Amino acid sequence: MGPFILRRLFFLIFVLFGVSVLIFGILMSFSPERRAAAYITTPQQAKDLPRLVRTYGLDDPFYIQYGRWVGEVAAGNLGWSLVAAQPVWTAFWMYFPVTLELNLYAAPLIIWFGIWLGTRSAIHRDDWFDHLSRVFAIIGWSLPTFLFALVLLMVFYGYFRMFPPGIIGDETALYIMNHPESFSRYTGMVTVDGILNGNWRVALDGLRHLVLPVTTQVIVVVALLMRVMRSGMIEELSKDYVITARAKGADDRTVHLRHARKNALIPVVTVAGQLVAFSMEGSIAVEVVFNRQGMGWWLAESATQLDMPVLMGMCLFMGLVFVITNLVIDILYAAIDPRIRLV
Amino acid sequence: MSADMAGDDRRDGRRETGAGAHPILEAKDLVVNFYTYEGVVKALNGVSLTIPHGITFGLVGESGCGKSVFVRSLMGLVQEPGRIDGGELIFYPGPPSGDGPVQGVDLLRQPESYLQRIRGDRISMIFQEPNAALNPIMTVGEQVAESFLFHRVREMSEKIAADLGAGGGRTTGPVKAVLRVLCGISARNPHARVLRVLNRVPVLKRWRRRLLREALSRSAELLGRLGISNPEEVIRRYPHNLSGGMKHRIVIAMALACKPVLLIADEATSNLDVTIQAQILDLLKGLKETEISSVLLITHDLGVVAETCDRVGVMYAGNVCEIANVGELFRNPRHPYTQALLNAVPKMAQTGPLESIEGTVPNLVDPPPGCRFHPRCPNAGEPCREVFPEMREMGVGHRVACYFPVEDIG
Amino acid sequence: MAVDWEKHPRLRELRFTLIKIFRNPTAVLGGILLLGFAATAVLAPVIAPPRYPDSPYRMPRKGYSPIPKPPSETNVFGTTSGQYDIFYGVVWGTRTAFKIGLFVVGFAAAVGIFLGTVAGFYGGLVDELLMRFVDVVFAVPTLVLAMAIVVAFGRGLENIMIALALVVWRNYVRVMRAGVLTLRDKDYVQAARLMGVSDVKIMLRHILPNAIYPVLVIATMDMGSMVITASFMSFVGLGAPKGYADWGQMVALARNYIVGPPEDPLRFWYTIVIPGGCIVLFVLAWNLIGDALRDAFDPRQRRR
Repeated sequence: MGPFILRRLFFLIFVLFGVSVLIFGILMSFSPERRAAAYITTPQQAKDLPRLVRTYGLDDPFYIQYGRWVGEVAAGNLGWSLVAAQPVWTAFWMYFPVTLELNLYAAPLIIWFGIWLGTRSAIHRDDWFDHLSRVFAIIGWSLPTFLFALVLLMVFYGYFRMFPPGIIGDETALYIMNHPESFSRYTGMVTVDGILNGNWRVALDGLRHLVLPVTTQVIVVVALLMRVMRSGMIEELSKDYVITARAKGADDRTVHLRHARKNALIPVVTVAGQLVAFSMEGSIAVEVVFNRQGMGWWLAESATQLDMPVLMGMCLFMGLVFVITNLVIDILYAAIDPRIRLV
Repeated sequence: MSADMAGDDRRDGRRETGAGAHPILEAKDLVVNFYTYEGVVKALNGVSLTIPHGITFGLVGESGCGKSVFVRSLMGLVQEPGRIDGGELIFYPGPPSGDGPVQGVDLLRQPESYLQRIRGDRISMIFQEPNAALNPIMTVGEQVAESFLFHRVREMSEKIAADLGAGGGRTTGPVKAVLRVLCGISARNPHARVLRVLNRVPVLKRWRRRLLREALSRSAELLGRLGISNPEEVIRRYPHNLSGGMKHRIVIAMALACKPVLLIADEATSNLDVTIQAQILDLLKGLKETEISSVLLITHDLGVVAETCDRVGVMYAGNVCEIANVGELFRNPRHPYTQALLNAVPKMAQTGPLESIEGTVPNLVDPPPGCRFHPRCPNAGEPCREVFPEMREMGVGHRVACYFPVEDIG
Repeated sequence: MAVDWEKHPRLRELRFTLIKIFRNPTAVLGGILLLGFAATAVLAPVIAPPRYPDSPYRMPRKGYSPIPKPPSETNVFGTTSGQYDIFYGVVWGTRTAFKIGLFVVGFAAAVGIFLGTVAGFYGGLVDELLMRFVDVVFAVPTLVLAMAIVVAFGRGLENIMIALALVVWRNYVRVMRAGVLTLRDKDYVQAARLMGVSDVKIMLRHILPNAIYPVLVIATMDMGSMVITASFMSFVGLGAPKGYADWGQMVALARNYIVGPPEDPLRFWYTIVIPGGCIVLFVLAWNLIGDALRDAFDPRQRRR
């Protein structure tokens, strides 16, 4: 276990270093004047760009600027976000819970649905259920998230007036603002805070705003998991140990669930990283369309307003998520597959 | 292990079984086809075979002749895209008692639930690749225990109930009473719906654990009997940290757990090195005396046949072409294919080059008409090309499917 | 010289694969859809003659009102916000979609196949460095990294295409390298080496043809998914200037009109359903074909 953790830690540092160099390299393709624009806060400053360039050392060699930047980041200064009108680090903690909440609801549904659909379609291969779920998967795969979200919004908000966009209704927002003493924001997640404060009205309102975003996220992401589960299951069902189990007198349930499914989960763990990446990308589109001020929304907004510190911080954050995901995958592997040991 | 050793009169304890013995299994005109993209592979072309009770029956033939398909259809385990398209498989599950007629069951006309009860209990099977045949992510003990959990729940529940009654174990009071009730239910009907529901309730699940513990201890005991030195420890291991020979014994243990009346060994020793092969064969031979009544041994190794079998069937391209007692077959092969097969085995006193069989195994999508061996047969004549030869009795218990058999030297 | 389909093993396999694909009804559906799109792209100047011959991708507009107008005789699919003609945009947008897919996938696959083959075949330090670099690039999701690059290079459709190409080649390197690694130690490759066949020839004749199938499958799928990603970036506003015939931008134009007036909430459906439907069908076509290719190339499912 010890060397394993050490190796992972090294990997974490390596990936974060690599990502930061990469992003910094991209940023350096700006002219110093353009990068200086990021530091403008008053109109007078705009007139004297060269001075800004000099003050901030924007025409220094790459490594000096990079070193300076790393020093700042290490000190907890990720820069200033134009979009949020706050330091990136502070803004991050404002946006992060919103995205986390969305994925906290979506992820269990994705995992449960994906495994269930994949298993069922592999067992009943080529029957109506299999065909239906494959059609569903390929359509889910072909649907652009933002488009699907727009159509859902059009039908369920526009036509049925059921599920509005946003994070929270105006009335509820007002209520929270006016009752800071009885409603404390423990986590920043509306539904969770609602439950923690014992305020069901807030929780339900948050949930109502989550229905469409979570539906979108689940339908778009579940296709990948389902497909991997299905093909893994089909492969396992054709293996010899399945015949051995049948020859022992096992019934279908035992063969499918006890023998084949557990083995088929091993390749599924492999795509967990991809699932996380998909969920990240999905969150961007979902938050943009449903107007939820989370990290995805922040990122898209920053991209259109050339808010480079945010983009860089976000890439670093993604690198962190990537490494943690990989760590979890390794541990999961070892938990499922006795042939693998963490050394 | 050379084939001609069987030519000597070695009747050491082996029963030469003729037509008079009780059958344990009768296959009649079994037809199995595989519906593939290239066409219909006619894997079994009306196979008829009788396996007498209490003997070791060998089934030999080149790879691809349908031996494995035959045994898989016995177990009801023919895989997609294969289908059993005709025939009968009469199985006599009970021990033949005295001279009364034994009740036979046609396995092909039984529901899947019946087959599940038979498999692993009355008929069981040893697979050729222990590596692939074991589930890589379950402990060896769990896998052997499954055999007990599928077929011996009733008996084990009775035992647990009796143990609880005798006052053994740490459990006391109401829990014990509940456990006893549960064991009582499962002793009466192991598949009761009540149990299935109760198995999901946290505290009551413990009943299941008792059962599992009992099954595991039975597995350990069985492994001990098969010559594994520290069974208590081995049952907790996973297949990947066992040696090849050990895995083989595990696979055998799974098959033997419920003392089947018919044990099928599908190429059980083919990929082993010679010493382990000898060990396993000895083990099987010993078990044959004590645990099981009949063995069906599938192999392409004539040496193994000569060593272990009482009666032999020879298969070629989806047909049985000759059946005889082992001594008779080696001494006096009547089918030209059998003779060619025997000639292709090196002898102790071999001087010249080995003979091989001319031509190649036919493609079973489009097999030759008539006798499937005729294109390669030295004796082939006019009728061979048109109609498949019926099995004929030539000598006591010696059946041959050939128009122009090799002449009798016995 | 007549090609003998029965003799050459590779041709026989190819024929088998083609038959397998054409027996698959979903693949046929995908093929038909794709043919339709291809024909539209090629015949765009005939179907929808450009108003501005110098810049045919500029959508003609009929005024400046932000309120979309329903389908009429002059605008068969209606006009979207800003009075851009939806029909024209959809037809020329097909060309844009093909441009995006072919450029991104073409570049990424070429780079990926080359680097993956060379790295996998020779191994060593170059391989190690390349794969560590790929590890780093993989840490950031496609969309996020591509957005960062677009922001750095500046907005515009060309920059979206370049950014995507610079990001997705990593997938191809990994897949190709994995394939090459398993093939490199196969007996027939060793045999070819022993016979003194040159490395280049081994790569071209023995490794590439056998390792290329998974790359073909993901390339087909990516033709669709790259259009999705690019259209999302256009939707957010990183794409071509307003008025460019691009499906993603047309959806963005319709964004404020997804909900109509209270008495008729779905009044402006055509502004979103028509360009959106084009994106979905285009992606679906590629995915259906990719799915069929995967089944056809999968050795485990082949002979069924």
